[in-house]
Amino acid sequence: MSDNPLISLEDIEVHFTNENLLNFDEPETVHAVDGVSLDIEENDIVSLVGESGCGKTTLGKTAIGLQRPTGGSVTYRGEDIWAVRDGTATTETEWEDIRTSLQIIHQDPGASLNPNRRIVSILSEPLRQVNPELSRSEKRSRIYSLLERVGMNPPQDFAERYPHQLSGGEQQRVALCRALLMNPDVILADEAISALDVSLRVEMMDLMLDLQDEFDTSYIFISHDLSNARYFSGHGGGKIGVMYLGELVEVGPAEDMINDPQHPYTNVLRWATPDLALRGTGEPPMRKIDVPDPVDPPSGCRFHTRCPKATEACRQETPSDYQHGEQTVACFREDENHEYWDSPELTD
Amino acid sequence: MAIDQTTDRRVYSADDPIIEIRNAAVTYDEGRSYVLDHVSLELERGEILGVVGESGSGKSMLASSLLDAVPSPGHLTGEITYRPDGEAPINLLELEKADRRSLRWEDISMVFQGAMNSFNPTLDLRTHFEETLRAHDADIKKGLGRAEELLEDLYLEPDRILDSYPHELSGGMQQRALIALSLVLDPDVLVMDEPTAALDLLMQRSILLLLSDLQEKYNLTMVFITHDLPLVAALADRMAIMYAFRLVEIGDTRDIVENAAHPYTRALLNSTPNLDAPLSEMQPIDGQSPAPINMPTGCAYHPRCPLATEECRTEVPDYHEVETDHGSACYHWQASYDEVPLLHENSPGDTTGGVDE
Repeated sequence: MSDNPLISLEDIEVHFTNENLLNFDEPETVHAVDGVSLDIEENDIVSLVGESGCGKTTLGKTAIGLQRPTGGSVTYRGEDIWAVRDGTATTETEWEDIRTSLQIIHQDPGASLNPNRRIVSILSEPLRQVNPELSRSEKRSRIYSLLERVGMNPPQDFAERYPHQLSGGEQQRVALCRALLMNPDVILADEAISALDVSLRVEMMDLMLDLQDEFDTSYIFISHDLSNARYFSGHGGGKIGVMYLGELVEVGPAEDMINDPQHPYTNVLRWATPDLALRGTGEPPMRKIDVPDPVDPPSGCRFHTRCPKATEACRQETPSDYQHGEQTVACFREDENHEYWDSPELTD
Repeated sequence: MAIDQTTDRRVYSADDPIIEIRNAAVTYDEGRSYVLDHVSLELERGEILGVVGESGSGKSMLASSLLDAVPSPGHLTGEITYRPDGEAPINLLELEKADRRSLRWEDISMVFQGAMNSFNPTLDLRTHFEETLRAHDADIKKGLGRAEELLEDLYLEPDRILDSYPHELSGGMQQRALIALSLVLDPDVLVMDEPTAALDLLMQRSILLLLSDLQEKYNLTMVFITHDLPLVAALADRMAIMYAFRLVEIGDTRDIVENAAHPYTRALLNSTPNLDAPLSEMQPIDGQSPAPINMPTGCAYHPRCPLATEECRTEVPDYHEVETDHGSACYHWQASYDEVPLLHENSPGDTTGGVDE
């Protein structure tokens, strides 16, 4: 961890409140993200994994300034981005510049490309914003060379197509090109490969990794699949962060997280990842299948209702972060002297 | 273009088949091109068969064919025989409409991808179960009792689920409720087309475990169709690999995973991110799978295959018997072992997984 991270999330909290005009009951608050701190360095890769609804997308969007946190701060190169947005910051950094530097690729490429515009026109838009001085032919030649770079040959042909004339993998490459043409510092890839066929995923990840070196960008990679996160983070020397019900329960270097997971929940995700060794799959290392309601998250450690290792102490007290080598783990099992060890096991 | 994959029946035959598929083919343009190209297959009573293929490989067509439910104007030819336990075999494609209607769901049932689209959003789950029972003239009270038992088997609270509307349930709960609904009429065969694709991995894996419990408890025969080979490998007894609307390899799961004898299957295994394979070695498959109107001559995989020869370019390969019950539609299956080495074989098989560098 350097002193000067590219993006620093500190104690982020994002709560969504359901304010229904016709409903006079107590408004419901969904705790999407609660107390998460995370740094993203230059040329870094951070993969966020977890179940549906664990808050990984919300956290990702908060990191690139698309979601205003209800608590905590997001800083980009030392500037609080929401202070810049609101004009309360004392620096000269412009909100526009920050927004340009932080880009996103969505899960469904078919829905994120305008169906009525040709690829060349979709890709001209970011160039027009970043380099307004470029002539029409300069723009074209840049677009062609990038299309060629991402393997869409011949680029002249692909540039004249509409999105529906491309395959899912090709659409996702166009979305990647569009993000890259903004010269971003960070790209949030929100389940960017989940909609692709299994055999195409590695290809797409390789392409993103190759382009990282050329374009000098960091990635926040969101996935529910630990093996993809490991492939992506592992190749880029990055981290994997595991989220559960809005909290970051374990974060560390990719290979350490795979080979030596500390948090019982990381272990559950590892179990859930199919492997070809066909060794006995056995019972899942958790007590319940379904995730509790994020409107009313469990007390103490939020995983205690499903954790196979939970004791009474986990129900009562919230674990703080413990350091295990390079991993940060929010579990009492890291502390040899904690009362957890003498507390009765939870069995329901 | 059509081929006959029936010459060597040994490779796909079952001892006690519950469904026999012979030369099943689906065409949308009167035989000029096929989206299911003469597939033959036998389904063993009580087995779980995993059918694996990429998008557009014809795997959903195979699923629909099992219920004679190919979307119009598709035309299904061939022979599909259903053999109920201790009764006379039934030729599915020659059934009267009313008989076919009662066979679906009562004998052969299907779960589609995306549970949300299979439910009526304006009805609660109890109504879904009741309507299904009523439409098939079943005893509603008894049926609901069975529904409650099924829901409990799937770790759902029956009362809560039956009183809920679909949108009130999470994706994983909906999918499990749909599985319960598909089994409420006590079918023999359950066909599932990507039943877990929209869910996160943990839920997918949990559902797979529940399915194998259900299979044992209710003595079901299951067909599980997916693009995710490693996922289904944990569940299936046998696997069938599809490429470009044809069945290219079939065999026991262990044989397919450890001893795949088709260059495509081997490439597919190598392209899958895996926690156990060394990090540096995963390889994508070059090229794209063909569209039905533009099928290569001979073996459809030849433009992407490192082993392709003149023979592959002209003649569609028949099944070659690799071992008993393991067939590969490839002329060069023996050479594929050396030419396309499996990456995951070299990795240590312990639980700590492969270590890079």
